Amino acid sequence: MKAIFIIFNQAHTERLEYVFDRLGIRGYTWWQEVQGRGSETGEPRLGTHTWPEMNSAAITVIPDEQVEILLEDIRKIDEVNREVGIRAFVWEVMKTV
Amino acid sequence: MSIYKSAVTKPITTIMVFTAVVVLGVYSLRNIPIDLYPEMEPPFISVMTTYAGANAADIETNVTKPIEDAMNSVDNLKEVTSISYDNLSLVNLEFEWGTNLDEVMNDVRSVIDATYNYLPDGCERPSVFKFNTSMMPILFYAITAEDSYPGLEKLIEEKLVNPLNRIEGVGSVSTFGEPKRIIYVDVDPKKLDAYALTLEQIGSMIASENLNMPSGNVKMGQLDYQLRVEGEFSESDQLNGIVVGNVAGKPIYLRDVAMVKDTLKYGYIDESINGKKGMRLLVQKQSGANTVKIAREVNQQLKELIPTLPPDIHIAPIMDTSDFIRGSIDNLSETLMWAFLFVILVVLFFLGRWRATLIIILTIPISLVVSFIYLYFTGSSLNVISLSSLSIAIGMVVDDAIVVLENITRHIERGSSPREAAIYATNEVWLAVIVTTMVIVAVFLPLTLVGGMTGVMFNELGWIVTITIVTSTLVAITLTPMLSSRLLKTWGSKERLLNTTYNRTIRVFLDRLDAFYQKTVHWVLHHKRFTVTVSIAIFVGSLVLGAFFVKTDFFPESDESSMTVSLEMQTGLRMEESLKTAQKVEQIIRERYPEITLVSNSTGADDEGSFFSLFMATGSNRSNLMMRLVPIGERDRSVFEIADDLRQQLDQIAEIVTYQVSTSSSMFGGTTNTVDIEIFGYDFNETNRLADEIRDRVRTIKGASEVTLSREKDRPELQVVLDREKLALNGLNSAMVSTFIRNRVDGLTASVFREEGDEYDIDLRFEEDYRNSITDLQEITIINPSGHKIKLSELGQVKEYWSPPNIEHKRRERIARVSVKPVGVSLGELANRIREEMKGVEVPPEIMINVGGAYEDQMEGFQDIGLLMVVSLILVFIVMASQFESFAMPFVIMFSIPFAFTGVVLILFLTGTTLSLIAALGAVLLIGIVVKNGIVLVDFINLMRDRGYELYEAIERAGRSRLRPVLMTAGTTILGMLPLALSKGEGSEIWSPMGITVIGGLVFSTIVTMVIVPVMYAILARRGERDKKTKLRKRFIFLDQ
Repeated sequence: MKAIFIIFNQAHTERLEYVFDRLGIRGYTWWQEVQGRGSETGEPRLGTHTWPEMNSAAITVIPDEQVEILLEDIRKIDEVNREVGIRAFVWEVMKTV
Repeated sequence: MSIYKSAVTKPITTIMVFTAVVVLGVYSLRNIPIDLYPEMEPPFISVMTTYAGANAADIETNVTKPIEDAMNSVDNLKEVTSISYDNLSLVNLEFEWGTNLDEVMNDVRSVIDATYNYLPDGCERPSVFKFNTSMMPILFYAITAEDSYPGLEKLIEEKLVNPLNRIEGVGSVSTFGEPKRIIYVDVDPKKLDAYALTLEQIGSMIASENLNMPSGNVKMGQLDYQLRVEGEFSESDQLNGIVVGNVAGKPIYLRDVAMVKDTLKYGYIDESINGKKGMRLLVQKQSGANTVKIAREVNQQLKELIPTLPPDIHIAPIMDTSDFIRGSIDNLSETLMWAFLFVILVVLFFLGRWRATLIIILTIPISLVVSFIYLYFTGSSLNVISLSSLSIAIGMVVDDAIVVLENITRHIERGSSPREAAIYATNEVWLAVIVTTMVIVAVFLPLTLVGGMTGVMFNELGWIVTITIVTSTLVAITLTPMLSSRLLKTWGSKERLLNTTYNRTIRVFLDRLDAFYQKTVHWVLHHKRFTVTVSIAIFVGSLVLGAFFVKTDFFPESDESSMTVSLEMQTGLRMEESLKTAQKVEQIIRERYPEITLVSNSTGADDEGSFFSLFMATGSNRSNLMMRLVPIGERDRSVFEIADDLRQQLDQIAEIVTYQVSTSSSMFGGTTNTVDIEIFGYDFNETNRLADEIRDRVRTIKGASEVTLSREKDRPELQVVLDREKLALNGLNSAMVSTFIRNRVDGLTASVFREEGDEYDIDLRFEEDYRNSITDLQEITIINPSGHKIKLSELGQVKEYWSPPNIEHKRRERIARVSVKPVGVSLGELANRIREEMKGVEVPPEIMINVGGAYEDQMEGFQDIGLLMVVSLILVFIVMASQFESFAMPFVIMFSIPFAFTGVVLILFLTGTTLSLIAALGAVLLIGIVVKNGIVLVDFINLMRDRGYELYEAIERAGRSRLRPVLMTAGTTILGMLPLALSKGEGSEIWSPMGITVIGGLVFSTIVTMVIVPVMYAILARRGERDKKTKLRKRFIFLDQ
C-alpha cells in the first residue's frame, strides 16, 4: 500500500477526478484549497491579488501495482501544459486500521 | 458555493434567470410612456387674489404685501415674486426642488386662512395653483373657416371638443379666439332722453319679457294640465317688438330707441391663421399620460371627425410636441443601434473570435433591458435623458465581461477545460471587476443626489447608468463564465499560431502596437523630467485655451421646427392698429421664409382672460405669432438662423416697441436663456429712469438682443373724477354713478337668449358713436333718485391720466427687470459684458441692482456640477485608496484626470461647442471612465512588482500586457458615444455636447494615461517596495546575530 499525495492547480480538478474514476480508485481525501509554491519553476498559488490561483490537494492510498499507472496519468496531465502544474508524491503507508 | 460557480454548474438555471429578466424588461419597455423629459413638478405655487375695483397700487399695498409677508413662514421657500395688476394680485412662490408640494400646498392654504381676515373687505378668497409640466399644451391646432366662421364656436364645441375630450389621457381640450355669438342692443341716448327712458329700464323690460314661467296646475275634466307662460324669445328678431314705454298713449318699441344686432362679439382679440380668420384648439394631457400616444390618438380621431365638418373648415397643426419627442426618441434609438454595432466591431477587432464576441455582446441587451424595468417600476418614461444614459452606458457594460472572458481564455489557452477555466478564472478576477464597477458607480451615484432643476435630469441618468453597470457586472460574473464554459472550445496554445486572416493582419498589427508602446514606455521612463514638464505644459496650455476660447452656455437650445414671436406696440394702442403691424410682420415672414408653413397670429387680449394668457402676455397692443416650419431635413436654414434674420427685420419696423423671438416651445415651462438685470427700488420714477438708462446702454453691447423691460410703460387711462359735493346735492354716490357709466360704456347684460340648448348674452349699451370721445362720456345722462336728468359733466370731469399697469415684486421689494437675450455670444460672456457696462451707471443709494436670470440658474447649475465633481473625486479616491491600500496609488491614477479636461477643452475648441451644463456633465462622467483605465494599468504594475520584477521592468511589462484591455474598453466607450456626438436632427443639440466632451476627453486622456501614469508610478512608488523589505529585515535582525 502506498499513499499518493497529489497537489495540483485547481484547473486540473475535473481531470484528476476523472483519472481516479477511470482507475477505480474509490478512497481519497481531498483539500479544496491549499496554498503553496513549487520548488523549482512553479508559480506561487496563494489566492491573493498578486497570485490569484489556488491549488487543491488530494491524498489516496492505493495498492502498490496501481501507483505507476496513476503516476503515468498524472504525468500526461502535466504535459498538456506545464505552467498549470500538478505534482504527485508517493508515501509509504506503514500501518492501517 | 460562490455565485459564479453556481452559474457554471447550473447553466439552465442561469439562462432561465436571465430570460426572466429579459422578458420582464421587454414587457416593461412595451408599457413605458414616451416623453421628452422625465416628468417633473416644478416647485412653483401661485396665489391669485382678485379685489375688484382696486388699481395696481391699491392691490400692492392691501393684498399683495400682506400675502407676501405671511408666506415668509412657509418652509423651504426659496423666492417670492409677485405682480400686482388692476383688480388682481398674483404671488408666485418658488420652493426648493424636491420639496413635497402637497405638504407645501397645505401650509400655504393655512397661512392664507390666517391672513384672509386682514385682507380688505370685498376681496375674494385667494386661490392657490400648482404648476406641472404636464399642464403645458401638447397639441395646438389652427382652425380656419370661411362661410362657417360665424357658427364656428358651436360646431367645434360639439363636433371636435367633446369627442376629443373622451380620449383616455386627454386632460382638457380648450379653444381660443373662437367667434362668440352675442346679441347687442345698441341704444341711441338721444332718443332715450327724448322718451324719458333709461338704459336700465330697457334692460329690465327685456329681462321681464324674456321669461318662461310655470304658473300652476289646472284640473279640467279628468286631466291635470300644467299651466305655463311662455315669454321667451324664439328669435332674436322678436326683441325689436318689445314695448319699452309709452308716450302720449302710444307704445314705444325697442326698435324705436335701439338697434338689435344678432352678431359676433365685438373683438378685442383677432385670431388669424395664414391670414385667414380662425381659432385655435389646444389639447392638454393628464399628468403621467403618454404624450406620443395621446397625440397619435387625437390626430387619428381628428381625421375621422374632419369629414363631419363643413368643407370650408380647415384644421392644421401649429405645434405637435409629440413630433419632436418622436423624432428625438427615434433619433436616439438609432444612435443606440449604431453604438451597439460599433461596440461589436471593437470587441471583434480585439478578440478576433466570433464566439467570444457573442458572449460579450450578450451583456449589452441584458444590462440595458434592466433599466427599462427600473423605468417601468418608478413610473418614469422613455425620454431623452434615459436614452442618452443608455448611450453612455452601452460602451461600458461590456468592460467587465471583457476582463472575465480574457482571463477565461487565458486559462483555456493554457489547456484547462472550459468549464474549469470558467470557474477558476472568474474566481481570480471577480473582485477586481467589482472594484472597477464601484469606481464608475462612485461617479454616477452622486448624480442621483443632485437637487434643483438639473437634478431632475441627472437623477435619472445617475440611476440608469448605475443600474446598468451593476447589472453588467453581475452578468460578467455569472452569465459570461457560464456561456464561456459552454461555447468556448479547448484551444491548444497552437491556436494563436494558426494562419488565419485575423492572425495575419490585425493580430500582427496589435502585436506591433504592443511592442511600440513598450518602447515608448521605456523611453519616457528614462526621460521622466521631460515627460512631466511637457505634460504640465500641455495641461496649463489647455487651461489658457479654455479660459479664452471656450464659451459657456447653460442649456443648448434645440431646433424644434417651431417659433413664436411676440410683438409689443406702443402702450394703449387699439387692437385694430396693432393688427396692422402684426399683419405687416406676417407679410414679411411669408415673403422671406418659405420654410415657414403656418403662421398663426393672435392680436389683442381676450376680455375674459383665458387660460392661454397664463403662458403669454396679452394686451390690445400685443401680438403673438406662432409659426411652424417644415421638418429639419427639408430645409437648409436652422430655426435659429431664421430667428436671427427675423430679428433684423423686426428691428426695422418702427411701430414695434419691443419684440421677442423664441425658438423653444416648451423647455421647462418656457425658461429662456436670458440675462436679467434686476433693479430693486420703491420709487417708480427713479427706477423707471434707471431702467431706461440701463436698457439703452445694454442695447449698445455687442451680442445683446431683444432687450426688454419688464415694467410696462405707463398706460393712458381715462379717469372720471367726481365732485362729491355735487354728488351729494343730487342724492347720488360714486357707486351709483359708476354703475351708470359702466352700463352705458361696457354694457349691461340684460338677459340671455336661448337657442338649441345654448345661451347667448343680450348686451345693452350705447351705440358706439355715443361713447368714443371724452365729450360723449361727459354727455352721459344720469338719473338721480328724484328722477332728474343730470349730465356727467355736471358731476365731475373726465381726465386723461397715465397709470402703471402692473407692479412687480421680488423678495417683497418692487423690481423692474431688463432682460437681454444673447445672440452669437454665450450667456456667461454676455453677463460679464453687462457687468462691465453697468459700472458706468450711477446707481442712487436706495436702489439695488443685481444681474440674474437664466444666468443665475446657469451659475447654480455649474455650482452643482462643481460640487458633484468634488464628491465624485472624493468617492473615487476612497474606492481606489481602499482597493490599493495606499494613499499614493490613487494620486498616480488621478494624475490622468486633468488631461481628460485638457481633452475636453481641446475638442470643445476644435468643434466650436460651448461648455453647456450637459458638456460639463460629460466632463464629470469622464472622471470615472478615465480613472478606470488608470486602475487597470496600476493594478497590473503592482502585480508585477509583487511578483518580484524590478520597477521599470514591471512597468514596461504591465504596460505591454494591459495596452489591449485599456484600448478595448476605451474603444468601446468612445465608439459607443460616437453616434451620440455625431447625431444630427431633432433634439440632437441637447445631447451631442455630452458625446463630444466624453470622446474628446477620453481619446486624449487614454493616450496621456498610458504615458503619464507609468511615469508618475515610477516617481511616486519608487521607494515603496524597497522600504517594505527593509522594514521587515529590521524586525528580524536578531536572526543574524
